[in-house]
Amino acid sequence: MTADPEPPLAVHRSWRNRISARLGAVLLVAPGVIWLIVFFLVPLGIIFVVSLGTKDAAGHVVLDRLGLQNYAQATRPEYLPAFANSLRYALITTILSIGLGYPIAYWISRYGGQRKILLLILVMLPFWTSYLIRTYAWMIILRDNGVLNGILRSIGLIDEPLILLNTDLSVILGMTYGFLPFAILPLFVSIDRLDPNLVQAARDLYASGRGAFLHVTLPLTMPGVIAAALLTFIPAIGDYVTPDLLGGAQTTTAAKLIQVLFTSGRDWPYGSALGFILMIATLGGTLLALRSLRRETFA
Amino acid sequence: MSPRNRWLSGFAVVIYAFLFAPIVVLIVFSFNDSRRTFVWRGFTLNWYPTLFENAGLIDALRTTLVVAAVAVVVSTILGSLLGLGLARLRFRGRGATETLLLLPMVTPEILMGISLLIFFFQLFGAIGSIGQISLAHITFCISYVAVTVRARAAGMDPKLEEAARDLGASAWGAFRYVTIPMILPAIVAGAMLAFALSFDDLVVTQFNYGVGSETLPIFIYSSIKFGVSPQINAISTIIVAVVSIALLVAWRLGAFRQERPSLAVEDAPAT
Amino acid sequence: MTDPVARSGAPRPSGVPSPIDDLELTFYRALAMRRISRRQLLETAARVGPLAALAPILAACGASATPQPSVPASVAPSAAPASVAPASAAPTPSPTPIPSPESEVVVYNWADYIGEKTIANFTKATGIKVHYENFPDAETMLAKIRIDGKGGGYDVAYPTSVEIPSLVADGIIQPLIPALIPNATNLGAQWQNPGYDPNNAHSMPYMWWTTGFCWDGAKIKDELDSWESLWNPAYKGKLMMLDDIRETFAVAAFRLQLDPNTRSDADLDRMLALLEEQKPLVRTYTTDDIGTMNSGQTIIAHAWSGDVYQMYDDVPGIRYVIPKEGAVRGSDTMVVTSGAKHPIAANMWINYNLDAKASAANTNFIGYMGPNAAAMEFISKDILSDPTVNPDIALLDKLVELLQLGTDTDKYTQRWNALKA
Repeated sequence: MTADPEPPLAVHRSWRNRISARLGAVLLVAPGVIWLIVFFLVPLGIIFVVSLGTKDAAGHVVLDRLGLQNYAQATRPEYLPAFANSLRYALITTILSIGLGYPIAYWISRYGGQRKILLLILVMLPFWTSYLIRTYAWMIILRDNGVLNGILRSIGLIDEPLILLNTDLSVILGMTYGFLPFAILPLFVSIDRLDPNLVQAARDLYASGRGAFLHVTLPLTMPGVIAAALLTFIPAIGDYVTPDLLGGAQTTTAAKLIQVLFTSGRDWPYGSALGFILMIATLGGTLLALRSLRRETFA
Repeated sequence: MSPRNRWLSGFAVVIYAFLFAPIVVLIVFSFNDSRRTFVWRGFTLNWYPTLFENAGLIDALRTTLVVAAVAVVVSTILGSLLGLGLARLRFRGRGATETLLLLPMVTPEILMGISLLIFFFQLFGAIGSIGQISLAHITFCISYVAVTVRARAAGMDPKLEEAARDLGASAWGAFRYVTIPMILPAIVAGAMLAFALSFDDLVVTQFNYGVGSETLPIFIYSSIKFGVSPQINAISTIIVAVVSIALLVAWRLGAFRQERPSLAVEDAPAT
Repeated sequence: MTDPVARSGAPRPSGVPSPIDDLELTFYRALAMRRISRRQLLETAARVGPLAALAPILAACGASATPQPSVPASVAPSAAPASVAPASAAPTPSPTPIPSPESEVVVYNWADYIGEKTIANFTKATGIKVHYENFPDAETMLAKIRIDGKGGGYDVAYPTSVEIPSLVADGIIQPLIPALIPNATNLGAQWQNPGYDPNNAHSMPYMWWTTGFCWDGAKIKDELDSWESLWNPAYKGKLMMLDDIRETFAVAAFRLQLDPNTRSDADLDRMLALLEEQKPLVRTYTTDDIGTMNSGQTIIAHAWSGDVYQMYDDVPGIRYVIPKEGAVRGSDTMVVTSGAKHPIAANMWINYNLDAKASAANTNFIGYMGPNAAAMEFISKDILSDPTVNPDIALLDKLVELLQLGTDTDKYTQRWNALKA
């Protein structure tokens, strides 16, 4: 944190830097890159080859006639509703996570005081139990004779149990529950960095809390909002366990179709092809979002 | 206290209640006097002592923790170095490296799980083990750690390190006593993220476990068919209790009160 | 137990605020700067290219196909007799010298699909330690034991009977050692020489079931006996179907009087149309029939007979029927994998589970009927007198087993995904 002294030997330093950049690249970057190439890219390449293959009667993968037939087959109109479900759940989950997460992040940042960090860690605490057991607990809460219906009935709000479990509602609730903390963290950071004096100045300017929020706070925290959006959207669109456990007959997602192909369908090539299609769609969406953030930030 | 503040505080209470509702339910059902957690059948403490006789469950928990420990240590080291390198160095292939980091995050888990299954078997004849699960977990954790650390390191002034070297520190000394302490918070954050990812992973693990290497999520998923035993609730309750007590103690000791990480290198011995 | 605490519970002071700082920077930067150009993607793809060279060794990765000649009895006789002390209570005395068993055995079965004390009692009787491993679904189990073409390291597995021919053909399982399984004589006559495995050379039946439907008698007073009830609009939203491709298509086949093992596209299209018609009534497709009925989530469900027995406690009025149009029956078997490291212990495990008392204890705990004639006298009267789990044997002959259909399975899978999408 001291002031940087004037370099006594500029030439020496630049030479040293060149060497250390080379050496650094080898020492710092190479291990991780090699690891990812070996344990991610190579396996991904293998499964890509599988996706070009076919299978025999016993379900064994056959690679002697490679082609794009699985990709051509993957675009079946019957499967569109499942892709639409995935997209819808991911979008609603993202919007809800931000809608609920933003005020919380704001509250922790503005009113948390010394307890800020503790409050944030509390957000993460439920995630120390296993995901499956938390989802199972949601089933107990949401089912027809579950905890929630019991409470509503005992206070006389309803006579007949509400249908909650196995619906769009329970899937979205379960996914929002799962991804909310991943929205709250980046939102908090973004909000917490904001200079309160800026907001105060804006309030003086606009004379209303709402105007100040819309014209100053929100635009300045937009990067956090988009980061939170991506962090919830990416895992949500590939989720099949939550819709499987909390969903019902009408809530199948694209990732579930892929899972069926890999398991009871015993069709790895076709399953891989569908998987790659989902992956490319996610990547495309991610890149679009990155681009929009870039405009937001630098335009 | 402004009215908005009160409204927000109320909202915060609701959200925390939402986050903890299933935790309360799972704790309550750990005292359920029924072999399965379907319906409340009365109070019992029975599941806590018997839980320690359930060798499968204890083994699964141990496997989960061993895998998480290995995954956290290795992915944190590799990911931190990678993140640091990306932030500080200009080298050929940097763009490709960035792409390589993004890809694991958007790959559907089932695709990653199966690709590793085929990879390990075809190349090494491996059929699932604690080691194989650990390798798989390290792979999907690296990106998260690297991205976290890179962000931190990119915001750090490289001149500090140079200053240390001008003052006579060796390259290693500058790295060890200047660079590492500055990015340490990011390393810790990345490690926590890696732990959470590894601890809960079901899909990738399902394709890479084998004899004697069931993890807790696999154990639970397998028992859903005939009903989840309250012992699993009991073990979750114990974990939450232990973590909460640790948090409370840390809070009492003032662990979370510091607003900014200090750059002081108090542990550094004099060179 | 203390590990997680040490790691997460009490992070060092300096470590704490940073997650937040970093997260922001992370995403900010990741989002702002990381744009992947098409060229970069192509470069990445180009690097993948050479991997095509791996194709030959990949030739058959899906499931086994490594031609692994099963190494059956060779292990058995060569093992030196005696020497292991505690193995006293080995199988019933037999003239053939019994090779000494290994000290452990790895068993791969459904969770809780065995008597409460069976494992402990087996260890007590033989001194052999049991590693009881579980799978979440049958497909996972098959994938695991097929991955290396010889059992994936498990000694004993529990596939359904219809899998036996292909497991034998692919060399995944080895012949049993009859000398080690004297309890095979306990099997009922109809199980002695099953079509899927002549003379039980490679497998022993474990439990069997029927697939019909059940309903809560307290909520539905009618006597139901037809699959039509699962299409009754009165039960809209209170109806559960099994999340099992073949079982669910079979229900449609019975209603249409078609063969549940049909390979005809025309038949399958009719079955699909009928299931599409039913879908709006269905609350959920799941294999958790026990949980779904016990929690009162549905009042009528497509269900496995043994599971229905586990509903009595929570749904006292539960009823079950094998519908008049016909139904599916099936059985699980016990097999020894070809690569088993503990083949003697594995055969002894199978023998033990065919013991009259042990088999009865299994049935009494899980509610599934076994094939064991000698066990009948030890099975609880409740189960024996319950037509749900123990229907008239004569009836069984009229039920259908679901067969493996090879590549034609795709016809079911694709329609199933279309139904559920």
